[in-house]
Amino acid sequence: MAKPAELLPGTLDMLILKAVSLKPLHGYGVLQRIQQISGNALEIPQGSLYPALYRLEHQQLIAAEWGVSDNNRRAKYYNLTAAGRRRLREETAGWNRLASAIGAALSTTPEEV
Amino acid sequence: MLKRLGSLSRVLKSRSDFEQGMTEELRFHIEQYKDELVRSGVSPQEAARRARIEFGSVGSVEEECREARGLRLFDELGRQLRHAVRLLSKTPKFTATALVTLAVCLGANLTIFAVVDAILLRPLPFPDAGRLVTIYNSYPKAGVDRDGSSTANYYERRGTIPAFAGVAIYTYGTAVVGATGSTELEKIAGVSPDFFSTLGMSPSMGRSFTDEETSFQTNKEVILTDPYWRKYFAADPHVIGRQLRVNGESNTVVGVLPAGFRFLSSSARLYFPYSSSAADRSSSERHSGGNSKFMIARLKPGATLEQAQAQIDAQNRALEANDPMAKMVADAGFRSVVVPLHADHVAAVRPVLLWMQAGAFALLLIGAVNVTNLLLIRASGRAKEIAVRRALGASRWHVVSESMVETTLLTLTGGLLGLGAGTFGIRLLSMLAVDRLPLGSQIAVDSRLAAIAVLGSAVMGLVLAVPIAWFNLRGQLNSAIQSEARGGTPSRAAQSLRHAFIVAQIALAAVLLTGAGLLGASLEHAMAVSPGFRPDHVLSAQISTNYPDWQARLAFNHRLLTDLASQPGVVAAGAVNNLPLSGDSGKSAATAVGHVPQPGESPRGNYSYGVDGDYFAAMGFTLLDGRFLTADDSRRSTRVCVVDDDFARYYWPHTSALGQRLFLGAEATTDSQAFTVVGVVGAVKQAGLTDLTAQGAVYYPYALRTDPRLSIVVRTSLPPESLGPTLQKLVRQIDPDLPVNDIRPMDARIADSLVAQRSPALLAGIFSLIAVLLVAVGIYGVLSYAVAQRRREIGVRMALGATPGQIRSQFLGVALRLLVAGTILGAVGAWLTGRALQTFLFQVPPLDLVILAGAVGIIGVVSLVACLLPSQRATRMSPVDALADL
Repeated sequence: MAKPAELLPGTLDMLILKAVSLKPLHGYGVLQRIQQISGNALEIPQGSLYPALYRLEHQQLIAAEWGVSDNNRRAKYYNLTAAGRRRLREETAGWNRLASAIGAALSTTPEEV
Repeated sequence: MLKRLGSLSRVLKSRSDFEQGMTEELRFHIEQYKDELVRSGVSPQEAARRARIEFGSVGSVEEECREARGLRLFDELGRQLRHAVRLLSKTPKFTATALVTLAVCLGANLTIFAVVDAILLRPLPFPDAGRLVTIYNSYPKAGVDRDGSSTANYYERRGTIPAFAGVAIYTYGTAVVGATGSTELEKIAGVSPDFFSTLGMSPSMGRSFTDEETSFQTNKEVILTDPYWRKYFAADPHVIGRQLRVNGESNTVVGVLPAGFRFLSSSARLYFPYSSSAADRSSSERHSGGNSKFMIARLKPGATLEQAQAQIDAQNRALEANDPMAKMVADAGFRSVVVPLHADHVAAVRPVLLWMQAGAFALLLIGAVNVTNLLLIRASGRAKEIAVRRALGASRWHVVSESMVETTLLTLTGGLLGLGAGTFGIRLLSMLAVDRLPLGSQIAVDSRLAAIAVLGSAVMGLVLAVPIAWFNLRGQLNSAIQSEARGGTPSRAAQSLRHAFIVAQIALAAVLLTGAGLLGASLEHAMAVSPGFRPDHVLSAQISTNYPDWQARLAFNHRLLTDLASQPGVVAAGAVNNLPLSGDSGKSAATAVGHVPQPGESPRGNYSYGVDGDYFAAMGFTLLDGRFLTADDSRRSTRVCVVDDDFARYYWPHTSALGQRLFLGAEATTDSQAFTVVGVVGAVKQAGLTDLTAQGAVYYPYALRTDPRLSIVVRTSLPPESLGPTLQKLVRQIDPDLPVNDIRPMDARIADSLVAQRSPALLAGIFSLIAVLLVAVGIYGVLSYAVAQRRREIGVRMALGATPGQIRSQFLGVALRLLVAGTILGAVGAWLTGRALQTFLFQVPPLDLVILAGAVGIIGVVSLVACLLPSQRATRMSPVDALADL
């Protein structure tokens, strides 16, 4: 398995939005889901997750609700708000544009210049 | 932004929930991770350790989370608040001084502001009150600036002035209310049917008066105020139609006014229809306002005061065409003046109140300077600490916000204490007769005042923080530490600032003190004015007779005065329709036979009285020529009169006034109506002791000066108060239904007439006393600090042989320089203030050198005492101790 890649600045918020868009998750669940959907290719420093969650909640992109976890413990579950869904769509489109542009730039061969 | 604020407020509301939830959430995460590690085969202890390590510092994550939620600022504020409280409680003497200063100064301001607010700022309690105006007739060239409005004016203007949505007329009076044996004298108002609608309100129960109810035959209706309805009708919901006995006749209740209704300063509890006869409404009575009937009107939306004035002027011009008195009133400079109702009602007290507020504000400035100086001194003591903290990375904002939190905490606490002091102050003001000011009884501490107190204190806190923050920021690490190490001279800029503040303080205190001195001297001069009669040993009282015919009135007067005269100790007893200096002497016209007006000479208004019994002897008038009027003149209704020497000198400057004839009113009518002058008396003060215009007065027999008001005066050899019960008993014997009111010695009445001068002088005196104390505290504080700062220098000098006298004179020299500078500035300020105060001053020049010298002397002595203490301490300093600190 390759060494997990460092997260690009600003991408954690996008990943959190994506993770909670699939199904409401508690903080630890968000961490696991990101690792799962990225095929364990991304490493997220555990401590940085919560400030990001709180920031997104403060911006009302995600909403929190107390619920019960699989092992019957009280846990705080996050889900996406309408504003969060809109933001996720924008960020995804933006990212795709950026990625394809950078991809195209990097795949340029000498003949094409 | 709003969203964020909303989230912030929610978070603040459940701050502990937030903290608890965050802790729980983070713990859940760590335990989940630990459990997963355990499931993958790691030992529980090892799993717990690794989970904690990988998560990182819980504390810093929590801090980041709080910051993410916008809570950091509030945590910071809370920390600084706790810090400030700790610092302030460590220096109780400083804190107490600052708080007391702020409480007193803010309390004084709030007290005066409560008055200013209630009287000048708050709109009258009617819808759209800004559109209410009053209209009065003015005859300035006849010496009559205001004469109310006449009944004729009202009927002429009703519905004919396009700028007005409504016009109403009203009058005040008293009535004897209740069944025989249990009557009470009640203040009443007579109002035209459109009075309440013009004010923009209507009775809460029943109806207003109708036009049919405005004749003397059909006016037996009454509208109750809410308090009267509650007290005398037990808040009966079916009160409409019930009967109330007024002046012996039955009146029907047709309405009840809403709770809290109050028209201007009126204390009338019953409202009656404004009634008049056809004669009253005729054009010949157009100029008989007599300052007892007043007009209000409501401007239509969009109409201006100027339009209303122009329309009134145009109507007056049109009416003059068929006015027999047109020429006379034109000569008198007649004009009907339209003015805003509220502003007009409070016009007389407005400048005084604003001056009092200015005085209170000066006091606040002095107090603020004191607190700032104390804070600066404290800041100097902490200069090193702050310099080190800044060097270690404390931001500028942090230093500034710390100062702001501290000063705001001080001023807010001071403001709350000041609100308490203000409550007390308002109670004190009621002793200074503030409730007798127009609208004055509505002064109270309420939520509005509290809000202003909090807001004002917060603003003051921010302002006070400016010099402190400036001082804290400009301190450089190097110099701060070095100046400490050298034990050398304190920061020069900070010292100059402190000294400048002291100079400003001394100047302000000097201004306040001279202002108070000027007002005091003016009051003293006014008190020294002779009223023209001898007010000592005279008892006076008002009686409301309501006898419909004059024979009954005269019979009552005769019996009462005869009974009184036979009492032991009574020297003379008399009656008059209106006492001089009572504040409601109206002027009217008299026409002297044979007096040919010079070109340009306007008719003159003069005071006119109806007198009965031995009025002149009882009041102690001076007889200059002829004789006094006696009880016989009144009973026989002989057409004789007495004039005062002002009147005599004006109309008959070269001949004796005795035997001359005059007419009551502005026209010479038939000979049989003329009065013959039988005596000349010395002029007395009519409107006020400080009134210098010699307007002249004519005294007619009571029977012939048809004014139903009645005041009794009795000269006695006993203390005048002791005669009060006798007077009441005698009146009751004649008519048990007649209430006797306002029984007071005449000199108390005169003292009372000076309340407009006395109260401001007293308040200014209190303010300047506080100001002087504050200056003393300020100088003491700054000098004590200077001594403490320079103790090493003093130690060295004393070790080298300086005498205590030299040390003392060093500090006294500093204080003296400040004093001189402050005094010079103060003298300039006092002169400017004196000039501005000139209209309030009675026979006092704007710059009274004696008063100025006195003020400077007081401040000088107090300041010198305040500096002697610290200077003395400097000389007692032991050189060994002082140097040991090096």
